[in-house]
Order: sequence, then structure tokens, then C-alpha cells
Amino acid sequence: MVMKLVRVQTELGDTYIIAYDQKGEIDTVKIGEKELKVKYLGNGTRENEYLFEINGEIYSAFIEPDGTLIFNNKEFLRLDRIIELPVKEGERVEELIRGKEGEVVSPLFGRVVKIRVKEGEAVNKGQPLLSIEAMKAETVISSPISGIVQKIMVKEGQGVKKGDVLIIIK
Amino acid sequence: MPPFSKVLVANRGEIAIRVMKAIKEMGMKAVAVYSDADKYAPHVKYADEAYWIGPPPALESYLNIERIIDAALKAHADAIHPGYGFLSENPKFAEAVEKAGITFIGPSAEVMNKIKDKLEGKMIARKAGVPTSPGPLKPIESVDEALKVAEEIGYPVMLKAAGGGAGVGIIRVDNPNELAEAFEKSKRLSYSAFGRAEIYIEKAAIKPKHIETQLIGDKYGNYVVAFERECTIQRRNQKLIEEAPSPSINWEERKEIIEASIRFGKEISYFTLGTMEFVFSPVTREFYFLEINKRVQVEHTVTELITGIDLVKLQIRLAAGEYLPFSQEDLKIRGHAIQFRINAEDPLNNFTPQSGYITYYKEPTGPGIRVDSGVELGTWVPPYYDPLISKLIVYGQSRDYAIQVGLRALNDYKIGGVKTTIPLYKLILQDPEFWEGTFTTAYISEKMDYFMTKLREEEERKLAIAISMYNRGLLKRKKEETQKPVVKNKNNWKTYGITLQSSPRVLW
Repeated sequence: MVMKLVRVQTELGDTYIIAYDQKGEIDTVKIGEKELKVKYLGNGTRENEYLFEINGEIYSAFIEPDGTLIFNNKEFLRLDRIIELPVKEGERVEELIRGKEGEVVSPLFGRVVKIRVKEGEAVNKGQPLLSIEAMKAETVISSPISGIVQKIMVKEGQGVKKGDVLIIIK
Repeated sequence: MPPFSKVLVANRGEIAIRVMKAIKEMGMKAVAVYSDADKYAPHVKYADEAYWIGPPPALESYLNIERIIDAALKAHADAIHPGYGFLSENPKFAEAVEKAGITFIGPSAEVMNKIKDKLEGKMIARKAGVPTSPGPLKPIESVDEALKVAEEIGYPVMLKAAGGGAGVGIIRVDNPNELAEAFEKSKRLSYSAFGRAEIYIEKAAIKPKHIETQLIGDKYGNYVVAFERECTIQRRNQKLIEEAPSPSINWEERKEIIEASIRFGKEISYFTLGTMEFVFSPVTREFYFLEINKRVQVEHTVTELITGIDLVKLQIRLAAGEYLPFSQEDLKIRGHAIQFRINAEDPLNNFTPQSGYITYYKEPTGPGIRVDSGVELGTWVPPYYDPLISKLIVYGQSRDYAIQVGLRALNDYKIGGVKTTIPLYKLILQDPEFWEGTFTTAYISEKMDYFMTKLREEEERKLAIAISMYNRGLLKRKKEETQKPVVKNKNNWKTYGITLQSSPRVLW
């Protein structure tokens, strides 16, 4: 099964790599580990309204003049852009979705207060690597995998942005 | 007669606008101050006059006493309202304002200096017979001493920074093994935030709830308490949802804390608005006094809705030296109010503050809804200040009704451009534990995993539908059939001629 692959950027700066495949009225959409089956039910009773079904629940999607999507008149989503990504033969969609293995990225904007590991050290999955202070609170970043700390990219006291690579574990 | 002619509001955002509304209603002129980051902010536009006070960092602008007083003198303001946060509880500021011949809307520097920190507040509370938590009234020097004190009063205990505020440096310790590390951490946090490392210990309440009373006093020793607010829904000791009256206490207990609050006010000759914060245990039915906030609170709105008092106007009048216009017996609780703090924070990412332009903005309206907002479409939310951008306050004849209004209003409130706490509040309002009112201050931290799963599911569902629409080419809105205006010919004979000429039939 060859799935189509897109990179979706929301207005809020979140990027998702999403794979999808259409079979008749049902789209299979893969976001990260999650797989959703979206059934297209057709036009709604209002202009610019479309109906979908996920897990037996019906959702109405409405498009505003500025492109804002409004769901069930409650939730909304504003997309920045959708970029189609070419899928080469032999490349696994799963790998493209998950990103490079072993890179520990900062989940937030803050300042590194304490690094608890050294380069060359072996770490277990879930072991605390470092703490980042943001908004008066310390967040402990734990290792996502077991392995050896290859490189520490930050120093204590350094400010980090969301998405910055902190540590590489192999 | 308005008590002043021109009032400067030394604050920004939502509260600056709220205070200016009161100033305008009283027939006075409102003066704003702004930093470079707030050049185009709504509070600057809303004021009658506005003065620049410095670059974006708060230390150089909204915390710059000299610049603010300069602005007040330039504007010929005869009073300054500090709002909350920033300089509102700084006795040096109150003193500088008084020295410049301007009235400070709040308690005097002399009153503020009577309680310099939390520990001193606790001492006064004990003296005034206000219920406090067991624990010594002095800072703890070492881990050994901490262990000894904790053993005496019994676990769980709380470590607190004496010079602290806004919940910084507060750590709960459940057993002796955790104490040493927590002690160092609390010390470090306290020192980096306030430049003081004094820590004290007190007994922690079981299943704690946060309840506070609204103390109101004039300069002549008259006091009333506009009942209580419950602010139990917090994360990291920062309040998120507040309501009044508290669903957890009965009238006897309410009377007890009202009387205790008045005794505390009398003890220090407090005047204008103050908030007495207590932690309440629904298990032992005990109140422990925490601290007194010497300013108008973020959550003053819920008290306004259930009592019908405009607290900000009253605060201005009391600061001007007027007498309290009513007594405790005049005050009644009517209905129930809930406030939601709309923060520009990402609930999925450890509540990281967000910054950006507001690209989409729909405010809820209708029965039982009040919005105190500091933003509008196109406003920039700067990263330098508090992430609170707006407050949604809902009112109903009972708590159940208020919750219904709340969910509807949150569904109607749509803010684009920055992530907000709105989606989280919608989930809380659908939680039976919230309906019953049995939650404690640990509610958010205990339930956050569940809420995050729910929020992520919602996000994925929205994305999946968007992709499905993209795949089917539905993301573009259909071209609207614009209603063509009826073209009115000046002369109807012209139409007659044209139809005749275009007619294929030749009549002659």
C-alpha cells in the first residue's frame, strides 16, 4: 500500500507529518503512531459544511471565509500550509514520521539548569538526562531510549528553544 | 463628585482596561503607561492619555517606579492604581507615590510594611486569632532542623519561601526521605526568584482546597468581608479557575473566616481591598491562614457578580478616604459565578507560555457572560509579561447553571494565533468530579495525563478531518454567489428600445 505523505503546519507552529490513503469514502490517516479512519459523508445542509464520521461519531466541518475550519461549531483549526512530500520507493513511511532516532529535543522554551549525564555514559530508557527551567518550574527530560550518550549539545545555564537538539543517544 | 480628576493605571493588559472602565464610569480621566512591547496594545488605545515608560523588560518599564511617577506628574494625575502584580504590593512604590503628592489606590506603605513576608503574616494571624497551620514562626537553618521540626508537627509538611509569592518555592514533602532534596530545591528556587533563601516549614492540609475571603476596609476601622472565593483549580500553585461562593464550606464555617478576616484587618489597621488566603481541609474542616494579598485580585470579578458590588470603584473611593457605604448585614450572596483565566499557554506542553499575534478572535456574549479581555484581533501577545490575556466570567442562578453557561461560553470563545487554556477548561467542565466540587489543589496535576490524552485525540481528529478535506479538494471555500445589485436604468424607455432591437423578430 503506497500512502501519500504530507507535512502539515498549523498556524500555531506545530508541524505534523501525516500519511493518508483513500479507499472510496474512507480515508486512512496516520498521525504519528495513531491511525484514524475518516468516512466522508458528503455535504452538510449548509453552504461550506461537510460531514465526516470517525469512530461512529459525526463531525461537521465548516470553512470560514479566512480558511478557518470549525468543527461542530466548537473546536477550530487554522492551517498554515500543507506540503506534499515525495515518497521514494523502499522508504518506510513510519521512519519518515518518527524522525531521527536518538535525538533528544527540548519540548519547551527555557534554560538548562542541570545536566545529569556525561558524554560516553550509558543511559537507560526513562533515566533523567537534564532539567530545564521554564516559568518558575523545573522540567526533567528523560531518555526516550536506552543507549550511550554520544554528544551533549547544550551547557548548564544555556537558554533553549522548543525543538532544539539537547543530547544525542546512540 | 468623582474623588479624583485623573487616575494613572500602572499596569497593562486585562486589568488595566478593567480599572480604566471604573475610572471612566466615575467621570474621571484614565491615563495609561506602556512599554515598547505594548505600543499598539488595547489598554493604551482605551485610555484617555498614554505615556511611554521604557523598553519591553518589566524591570525597565512596568516595574520602573521613577518612570511611572514621572508619567503621572507629566499627566497631572492625582491618583495611581497599581492593578495586580508588578508594583501593586511594593511598599517602596506606595511610598514614592505618596511622596510625589499623589494618592496610591491601595493600602499605605506603612500598612504594607507591617507584613513584609509570609512568615510575618502568619505571626500577625496567630496574634489576631486567625487559624494558622502548626509550625514554628521562624526560618529553618539546616536540613537537620527541618527533619526535627517535621517530625514534631507530623508529615505531610510544606516547605515555603518566606519571601515568596505566586507559589514559587513551595514544595510538599510526604516523608523524611524526600526532605533533604526538597529543602535544597526550595532554597535554590527561592534564592533565584526573590534573592532570599529563607525557608520555613508548616503542616500540610489533607485534601487541601484554596479558599480566600474578600476583606474590605476604610481608613476609619470599619470592615466588611464580601464572602469567599474558592480557587482550588490550580497548576503549580497558579490559579486557573475560581468561583464564588465556595461549594465546599457551610454558613458556620463561612462566618468563622469572615470574623477571623475582620480581626486580622483590625490588627494591622488595614484599608481598601485585601484578600485573606486560606487553605481548607474538607476532611478535618480546618482553615490554615496562608497570606494576605494587598491588592485587587485577578479573581475579584466573581465576588462582584455574586454581591453586585463594583470592587474597583469601591477601592478607589476608599483610597480617597470615603467611609464604607454598607455594613456586613447589607451583603447577600446571589447566584454563583465562575472565572476562567484564559492564558496564552500550551496545556499539551507543560503550560509553556506562548507569544504571537492574535489572528482570529470571537468573544462569547449573551446571558450570564462577562469577558474582561486585554486582547483583540491583531494584538501582539509579548513574551515578556504574564501569559493571562483574558478572563471569562460566567454567572448562573446556581453552580450547575453557571457550569452550563461556562461550557457554552468556552465553546463560543475562539482565539487564534496563540495556544490557550480554553480547550483544557472545556474538558474540566465536563468532568463529574468538577460538578461535585470534591476536587483538591492537586486536581490538575493528578488528571493532567488524562486531559492531555483527550486534548491530543481532539487535535488528531481535527487534523484527520482536515487531511480528508484536503484529499477531496474541499479545503477551498466555494465561491460565494454574490447577490447582484439590481441595476436600475435611469430611463425605462432605454430598456424597451434595447429589447426591441435585440429581438430577432422583425415587426415591420
